[in-house]
Amino acid sequence: MVDSYLPMFLTFAISLIACTVMFTFGHFLGPKNPSPAKNMPFECGNDTEGAKFTRMNVKFYLTAILFVVFDIEVVFIYPWAVLFKGLGWVGFATMLMFIVSLLVALVYTWKKGGLEWES
Amino acid sequence: MIDLFIALSPLLTVGFGGLLLMLAEALGKPANNTGMSPDGAVVVDAGAGRSEELGLLATVILFSGAASSMGVWLADPATLGVELVSPWLQVDRYSLFFSFILCISGGLCTLLGGGYLEEHKIDRGEFFTLVVFSTVGAIALGFAGDLLTVFVALETMSLGVYCMIGLRRSSPRAGEAALKYFLLGSFAAAIMMFGAALLYAATGHTDLAGIGAFVGGLGGEASGETAMVIVGMLLMLIGMAFKISAVPFHMWAPDAYEGAPTPTTSFMAAAVKTAAFAVLLRILLIAFGDPRLMSWGAGWPPVMACLSVLSMTIANVIAGRQSSVKRMLAYSSISHAGYLLMGVCAAMRLPEEASASVMFYLAGYCISTIGAFGALILCGSRGKEAVSYADLAGIGRRHPAAAAAFALFVISLAGMPPTAGFFGKLYVFRATIDAELYSLAIIGLLNSIVGAYYYMKVLVFMYMREPIPGAPIAIPMRSSMVVSALIIAAALVVAIGVLPGALLEMAAVAAAALS
Amino acid sequence: MDIFPTNDFTLLAVILSFPLIGAFVNGVFGKRLGKEAVTLMALSAIGVPFLASVATFSKLLDIRAVQHAAGAGSADHVEQGARLYWHAWDWLDLAWTGGETTLSVAFSVDGLSGIMALVVTGVGFLIHVYSTSYMADDPGYHRFFSYLNLFIFSMLVLILGDSLPVLFVGWEGVGLCSYLLIGFWFQDDANAAAGKKAFLVNRIGDFGLLVAMALLLRYTGSLSWEGIEANSGNLPNQILKVWQMPEVLAFSFLPDWLLLNEPTIATLIGLCLFLGCAGKSAQLPLYVWLPDAMAGPTPVSALIHAATMVTAGVYLVCRLSFLFVLSPATMFTIAMTGALTAVFAATIAFVQNDIKKVLAYSTVSQLGYMFLGVGVGAFTAGFFHVLTHAFFKACLFLGAGSVIHTMHSRIHDTDSSQDGRNMGGLRAYMPVTCVTFFVSCLAIAGVFPLSGFFSKDAILIGALTNTVSSSGGVHDAFVWPEWAGSVLFGMGLIGAVMTAFYMARLYIMIFEGDFKGWSIVAGWKEPEGHDHHDDHGDGDEPIDGPAPHESPNAMTAPLLVLAALAAVSGLLSAHDLGTHWLDHWLDPVFANALGNVVTDAEAGSMVPYIASAATFAGLGGAYFVYVMRGGDPARELAEKVPALHELIYDKWRIDELYDELFVATLETLAEVSIFLDKWVVDGIIARASAGVVAGAGSVLRLFQVGRVQAYAAAMVIGSVAFAGFFLLPHARVQLNGDLSNGQYELVASPGLGYQYSWDLDGDGEFAEDDFADKNTANIRLNTGKTVEVGLKVRNAFGLIRTVTIPLTRPDPSADETETAGVQGRATGQLADIEGRQR
Repeated sequence: MVDSYLPMFLTFAISLIACTVMFTFGHFLGPKNPSPAKNMPFECGNDTEGAKFTRMNVKFYLTAILFVVFDIEVVFIYPWAVLFKGLGWVGFATMLMFIVSLLVALVYTWKKGGLEWES
Repeated sequence: MIDLFIALSPLLTVGFGGLLLMLAEALGKPANNTGMSPDGAVVVDAGAGRSEELGLLATVILFSGAASSMGVWLADPATLGVELVSPWLQVDRYSLFFSFILCISGGLCTLLGGGYLEEHKIDRGEFFTLVVFSTVGAIALGFAGDLLTVFVALETMSLGVYCMIGLRRSSPRAGEAALKYFLLGSFAAAIMMFGAALLYAATGHTDLAGIGAFVGGLGGEASGETAMVIVGMLLMLIGMAFKISAVPFHMWAPDAYEGAPTPTTSFMAAAVKTAAFAVLLRILLIAFGDPRLMSWGAGWPPVMACLSVLSMTIANVIAGRQSSVKRMLAYSSISHAGYLLMGVCAAMRLPEEASASVMFYLAGYCISTIGAFGALILCGSRGKEAVSYADLAGIGRRHPAAAAAFALFVISLAGMPPTAGFFGKLYVFRATIDAELYSLAIIGLLNSIVGAYYYMKVLVFMYMREPIPGAPIAIPMRSSMVVSALIIAAALVVAIGVLPGALLEMAAVAAAALS
Repeated sequence: MDIFPTNDFTLLAVILSFPLIGAFVNGVFGKRLGKEAVTLMALSAIGVPFLASVATFSKLLDIRAVQHAAGAGSADHVEQGARLYWHAWDWLDLAWTGGETTLSVAFSVDGLSGIMALVVTGVGFLIHVYSTSYMADDPGYHRFFSYLNLFIFSMLVLILGDSLPVLFVGWEGVGLCSYLLIGFWFQDDANAAAGKKAFLVNRIGDFGLLVAMALLLRYTGSLSWEGIEANSGNLPNQILKVWQMPEVLAFSFLPDWLLLNEPTIATLIGLCLFLGCAGKSAQLPLYVWLPDAMAGPTPVSALIHAATMVTAGVYLVCRLSFLFVLSPATMFTIAMTGALTAVFAATIAFVQNDIKKVLAYSTVSQLGYMFLGVGVGAFTAGFFHVLTHAFFKACLFLGAGSVIHTMHSRIHDTDSSQDGRNMGGLRAYMPVTCVTFFVSCLAIAGVFPLSGFFSKDAILIGALTNTVSSSGGVHDAFVWPEWAGSVLFGMGLIGAVMTAFYMARLYIMIFEGDFKGWSIVAGWKEPEGHDHHDDHGDGDEPIDGPAPHESPNAMTAPLLVLAALAAVSGLLSAHDLGTHWLDHWLDPVFANALGNVVTDAEAGSMVPYIASAATFAGLGGAYFVYVMRGGDPARELAEKVPALHELIYDKWRIDELYDELFVATLETLAEVSIFLDKWVVDGIIARASAGVVAGAGSVLRLFQVGRVQAYAAAMVIGSVAFAGFFLLPHARVQLNGDLSNGQYELVASPGLGYQYSWDLDGDGEFAEDDFADKNTANIRLNTGKTVEVGLKVRNAFGLIRTVTIPLTRPDPSADETETAGVQGRATGQLADIEGRQR
């Protein structure tokens, strides 16, 4: 069994070695003549202002997360619907509990202002 | 079916209680406007400024969870048709013992939160919901008898804690602590997941008993399955060592404990650690309980012993050099993980006695450590935490009740009679000695002497030092919730210290249910 | 129908809980409750237990009556004794000590503790009543009763406890209360210091008690009375080698009983216990705290330092009498200590002027009598004296309190109002106090037919006629010397003369002659030095306080009751009058112990007459010196030998001796310790370890900069180390087997996926490919042979490790002792042999 994984380990090892070697050689062999001008982010033009990257509004993440949550809900509901008859009332109750808990989450998000884009 | 709901009632009570709490928070009337958004607008939060009522509700939910655990315990879970959810959830007296401790710990933490959040101007209602849901995860972790439920429960518990750490959003320190814990926690969870995957690949089972049975059937000859089981076990151990913050997987703990609001810290030190030990014992004894894996020569016990020695020694040495009491308590909780691991090691020869001693220790430790953090909260002046030893100087004379409570919990943590901590240590050391792990027991004893040094330092500062003139002195806060949490904890610490027999008997019954 | 069954006698819970509740209520709410409520609470907290004790005692009487009736027919009937038992809860699991499985918080009452409980609650009740008047104007009224109730609770725990640890809880509790009550007026530094002294001296005794408990647990496996009694039989046969001495230095010229080496366990335990008793009951050399303890309020002196707490030591000796008699050496020590204390303390009582001090030394002396009694095996006599002493000494102390009370309202100075030289002639002013005091004086002096006569008599007879013999233990070489009986008796007799003398002196000083308190120096204090203690006569000035007057009824009523008891309680065991009730009652308690006590019944017949003669000699002497000659002979004597007088007046300077001997030594020791701490512990250990930690810290700081990557790196390093452990094969071999017949079993510790290949003949050759699951190997060795067994281990990852285990069978042809040694050592090696890597 170990044998069958050998190629994988080999690949892993070779990539590790290759990376290490390249970085090491680059570090030692590459010509280095640092000067203040070279170390500046831009060698010409205006000095930069503000942060290096702009923050996305947190609402994007919130919406994305909400989408994922309800997306997953569908993933669960679909197989349940297929097997609905076989699962019977127990299955129904289980799914009801699941949906209720998500509903609570939705109400919570709503009341907390998670769905309001403006403000 | 009804029986099953009854059997699962600890989990359901707390879970649905959590949903209720969410609604109560969202639909309630906001008490005040808190904070400003970055662009200057006033943020209205429905849950803000209501920590007293929400905290009380959360406490009621968690204590009723404890009550229902006790009820199911008395009703004997084996008769309640729990085979239906087995092996995913194992409802036995072992899990009920833990769900009881976890609910009590969670309830004490929400009581502390009820006083703390308002005092420190981070009065946000999410906290209580998060504690309750984290406790759900912790209880489920105690119940879990399958690698999948272990993982889901672990993540449920951890996600809430990540947020609880970062509750004080204005503080970069809290954000840093939360992020660190989150990153490393994910790392550890990934390792553990990888281990679980390997175990499934090798054995074809995700349930712990099935894995155990498969391992028992493995022959001696080297095979891929054997190797994968060992690697899988290694990875699982690493993941769990992270959760119990054993050295060298502990480095997140001091930062996270210090940066977090103190009620969160107490929840992490008590409930998270207890749940992790619950699942650790179950996995080690059920899935890896084969004599060849419990061997002192080549199994998990030497690894656990190594973790234990490192945790005790390093944490104690560093704790002695802290100037912040909160950070000292953080290291102290790492060293307690070391003592507990000693008991876990002893479980290799005496599964029942050692598990019972670990469970007893956890019960005493949880209450004492929550009490110690609670007393620290109580000693904190308005809006500022009493964090350094110097802050505590002379408090024994100025505020004898607060100091006496602190002293009691510290004495219990140090393991002196007549407190719960003493009997916890006594039983764990006894199990270790009975299992013939003498050198481990001696190292543990030496360490508890070293530990006594920095615990006593708290007493020295409280009772024998006067504050430096002009230095700010801690003024205890006034909060009936914190005080009641401390009274409950103190009563339990003393009660267990005076009547250890009953709890030990329960722990023994619970441990017998494990095997 | 039986509400309180013998084995679950919950009435004990009532007895115990009331004082505790009283202490709690008065301590916490006392300030708000007001004086009446505090009084009510305090009195019911002691009154109810008294009634319950009476009920308990009547139940005991019932049981005994039934037993008596059952055995009436047969001549050789042995009475079992009555015992009521209440188990509160299991406290501690002791299974690991190999003896009793649990240590319970349990209480029991039998004949002995039943009487003690009656005395404590009964005398306690009287003293509570007395205190309501005595302490009426004290601002700490509720605090006083809270402490007093707590004391009663602790004392009852001590008496009723069914095991040594429970007794110890009470023992420490009464010590604590004693400390609190001695220092009750803590505003005065001297009082606080006295409390501290009592506490510290008692620590020495407690140490002995703790050691005794540990030894008992080790050698009998039990700490409950019944358990100790059942398992103590073998104690005299075991010895403890304190140190292994070379033959030359074996101190063979010293008598064996000096116990320098090899005391029996029974002796060791007995002496340790007695150290505890001597501390609590103020015996030589630990008596020094009791006189100072008089700094407390007088009712406290009466209750704690005369009637109850200080007799706890005697009670413990009686309780464990079966244990003490196992060691004649211990019994001899107890008897000698008691006799010496009795005489020694009496000498000091001769010359004290502070009336409470006289009574304090008298108490020490009487306690000496009790120990003399129990030491010679006359347990009933010793305990009888506890009983009678409780009555007459409590009465004396309360009487002194009554006198001090009235003096204090006149003088307003604590020291002067206790000085007997300011008194005299009080008979006219305080008739009730005077009469009760007089009766008690006669009782303690031993005048027929008052109680002291009978109890002291019984002790003296015991001292003359009893010896304690070894129970046949092979190692206990000590035999009571021939002279023991006569010397002990002689000392007891001298003590009796002295007791009669100083008590008569005290009575005459207080109540006879003219009242001298009309004019004294206000604020005069007894000088610290001894140079000018008699110059107080200069500069008298009249003071205009109220004239002496009788104390209120709440104070005189207890005095009357106690005086009556002091007069008649002797009838409980008045052998000369033919009553033997107490002896019969306590027979079952001491039945086991008395087997080792040899009594020469003939010798004692003359003792009552001799003792009476001694008493009247003392009384007559005092009458002659202080009444007929007005105290001149005493003064003359003091002037003739001033050095001796001053020495005795300064209590033989024992306190100073202790200061020199122990305090100075301790200070030197402290200096050395400070030096060691500063330079060795702090300098080398702490600094060095701090250096190591700091060094480690600077390495760790590379990680602890707060960078998550560094934290993850630490985890990775840990993981790699563990992975290494699981990846590499481990060969850990355990050796089992019987070395004497050469059968060895080697067990390699198991591992998942491990296979083993053995080379049993030691030729270093393994068979090809014969790895198997079997991780054990059996081998048989001939005498003196050595073989190097080889083992190859292959783990789940196919890695192999080879080890050799050298095995040698010891040669039995060497002489026997050596073989034993070799075997011992060989067995020691059996644990784990980590094989050598080849």
